[in-house]
Amino acid sequence: MPEFNVRSDSVNVEHIMEQIRARVREKRGVDYTEEQIRELAAVKLEKFLDPKGVRSDLLDQFRKAMPAYEPPVLPNYSFESDTLFESHRGIIRLFRKLFHPLLKLFLFNPNPLIRALNIQARLNTVYAEREAQRESARRAMDQLYYELIHNLVVELTRTGIEVKNLKMRAESLASRLEFNERRARALESAVVYRPSDEERPTRPLQPAAAAPMQPPSATQQPSAPLAQPTHTQGGIPGEGPGQRSRRRRRRRGRRGGGSVAAQVGSPAAPQPAAGSLDSSAGPPVAAASDHAAAPASSTFASDAHVDASAGPASAAADHMAASARPAFAASDPTAASARQAGAGADDEEDDGPDHDGAPGTGGGEPHGQ
Amino acid sequence: MKVAVVVQRYGPSINGGAELHARYIAQRLARHGEVEVLTTCATDYVTWRNELPAGIEQVNGVAVRRFPVKHERDPRLFGRRQERVFAHRHSIGDELDWLDAEGPTSPALVDHITRHASEYAFCLFFSYRYYHAFYGARAAADRAILVPTAERDATIGLSIFHPLFRNVRAVMYNSPEERAMIHAVSGNEAVAGVVVGVGSDVPSNPQPGRFRQKYNIRGPFAVYVGRIDENKGCQELFEFFEDYLRDSYGKLSLVLIGNSLLPIPQHPRIRHLGFLNDTDKFDAMAAAELLFMPSYYESLSMVALEAWALGRPVLANGRCDVLKGQCIRSNAGLYYETLQEFVETLKAIEQNRWLSGTLGRNGRQFFREHYDWPVIERKYLDMFDRVRNTPATRVVEPLPGWFERRREDLPPAEDVLARLAAGPVTVARQSDGRRWA
Repeated sequence: MPEFNVRSDSVNVEHIMEQIRARVREKRGVDYTEEQIRELAAVKLEKFLDPKGVRSDLLDQFRKAMPAYEPPVLPNYSFESDTLFESHRGIIRLFRKLFHPLLKLFLFNPNPLIRALNIQARLNTVYAEREAQRESARRAMDQLYYELIHNLVVELTRTGIEVKNLKMRAESLASRLEFNERRARALESAVVYRPSDEERPTRPLQPAAAAPMQPPSATQQPSAPLAQPTHTQGGIPGEGPGQRSRRRRRRRGRRGGGSVAAQVGSPAAPQPAAGSLDSSAGPPVAAASDHAAAPASSTFASDAHVDASAGPASAAADHMAASARPAFAASDPTAASARQAGAGADDEEDDGPDHDGAPGTGGGEPHGQ
Repeated sequence: MKVAVVVQRYGPSINGGAELHARYIAQRLARHGEVEVLTTCATDYVTWRNELPAGIEQVNGVAVRRFPVKHERDPRLFGRRQERVFAHRHSIGDELDWLDAEGPTSPALVDHITRHASEYAFCLFFSYRYYHAFYGARAAADRAILVPTAERDATIGLSIFHPLFRNVRAVMYNSPEERAMIHAVSGNEAVAGVVVGVGSDVPSNPQPGRFRQKYNIRGPFAVYVGRIDENKGCQELFEFFEDYLRDSYGKLSLVLIGNSLLPIPQHPRIRHLGFLNDTDKFDAMAAAELLFMPSYYESLSMVALEAWALGRPVLANGRCDVLKGQCIRSNAGLYYETLQEFVETLKAIEQNRWLSGTLGRNGRQFFREHYDWPVIERKYLDMFDRVRNTPATRVVEPLPGWFERRREDLPPAEDVLARLAAGPVTVARQSDGRRWA
């Protein structure tokens, strides 16, 4: 993880904040505001819909280009039964009505013509109204479609940005993971067991019967000589007991230094014994997960019991671990039975209830993170 | 020299910001002259109920004269009037009605100031927004010194207070941001003013280990001290901190100190300890990696100053101009405005020990230079001399008449506030022209 580039002796908070903001932008991509997303969406619309020049403010332009629809006033006429004989002069209208029978008798009958034209006039009116309604509905639908497309494009843009951010985040996490793996491998290969001065002359001569006097490992057979490497069960060649415990401590350190609940002392977390209040005494998880190292208090014993009921049983390996610690088995039978029942047979972490094989319930971590 | 300190509540167990400020100042000024505190019988700032007996008593060697409150606050009436003056066009009469509803309405206190003002060399009025400051400063205008403790909220937009800022003899500001805001809203640049703030009795040898042992706190943690309230930005703090907790790299826990008006998130790394005494509070701050100050509205953060006095960095809400300005001027704290900034700034302080230590050292120096008690006392005494040597020339602007009070031509207070320029004052100058930091 990159640190902040503050090299001078004095701190300039504004400068640091600029660096932090730059880092936020770098990690999360550009933080777009709603307006910026809309702008981006408008630009995409422009490219997508009409390369020749659809304007960015598409919806506004569309509304301007298509004002509210008003049906056109089409030319029409009304044709009634007396339309043919109408006149603004009353006397002429009177004579036409009087001579109407003569017209029908001597010339032609105008009534079919009047009826046809009357029907046509009514048909014209009906069709005009219907057309106006259709046009209005079509325009309303068009507006809806445009809004729908506009919103879709906005959301698509937003989604695209999120996808981009998530990709960047995934890449960042992958690189972190890769770095951590490399770091773990480098650390594991860097640690070499070096026997103490007292062990050095006696070790090659030590008989197999002396093995129980040394701190044993659950992966070791009880009768196996100490000089025998344990890599046959997944260990590392040349590994010794000191190396094993160092590796165990490293692993615990990487896990975050123990239970967080125990660190903060949450009311929900099991309270440690009064004697363990001192912060220098180490987190309770360490004591709970390593019964061989410290006498288990009643709290830890009950924790181990809970863990035993939850974790997968692997009695064979754990039985060996329990048999290697007869003193504790005698002084704390609850813990011993818990170990027998619940502790997993992890090759590398063998002697505590804090196992990877029992997720979420590990030993002294009832609130595992 | 006899000085009156006029404040809405006063007592050893009253720990509100302005009240504590007034108590500290009264006790410190009592070393240089006679101080009498004029206050009400109320202890609850919501109801203003008369709970203490009227009359004179001694509190930590300072004479305190209490006056009864005429009526308690009616929350519904107050809410209605506040809505009117904050959000609608209104009249001066509406604002005066709001002031009366807000309380603590104590005409006896104002009468006493009117009758006995000449007995005091100066009257220090704390908190401009209350009845006692508005009417009391008018009653003793020729010797009134105002400590506004103004925050950037809508109250500053009420027009009745603008003459108040212009009519007093001097104004003791808490921060350059507060001064800029009051200048902008009231145009009182001609009134003598100085940025003072307040000191704090920070112990010289806090015991972080004692706190950890007493409360069974292990591991690194950040601390929040104060009322746990949504108005203080705590809800946002909880959300942001829970997001920080999702990242496995963060090791900090959150310890909350203070009475809570909010439900505390149930998380093993968030711990609420309730109200603590000063010893435990300072031990906790000394044990913490940093202090959170998530408030949106502050005229001066005493807790932030205390953290700086103890050499701890502060992570403040950047949307509060005062806090942001304090962080920038002191170079002793970072600030955030978004979730991402919160996480990144918190990680920066947590992971970069050099940065954390330097911020803490800057904070300690900032506190010593500007907020140590000798500095604060000197500023008050200098201001007294300045006022004493300058004759009062301004005439108190009278309250408008009957018709004028009912003319509804005042804009909503929120609109007035929105028009005010915002932002931190990055380079502030003291009265002698020196830069602040």
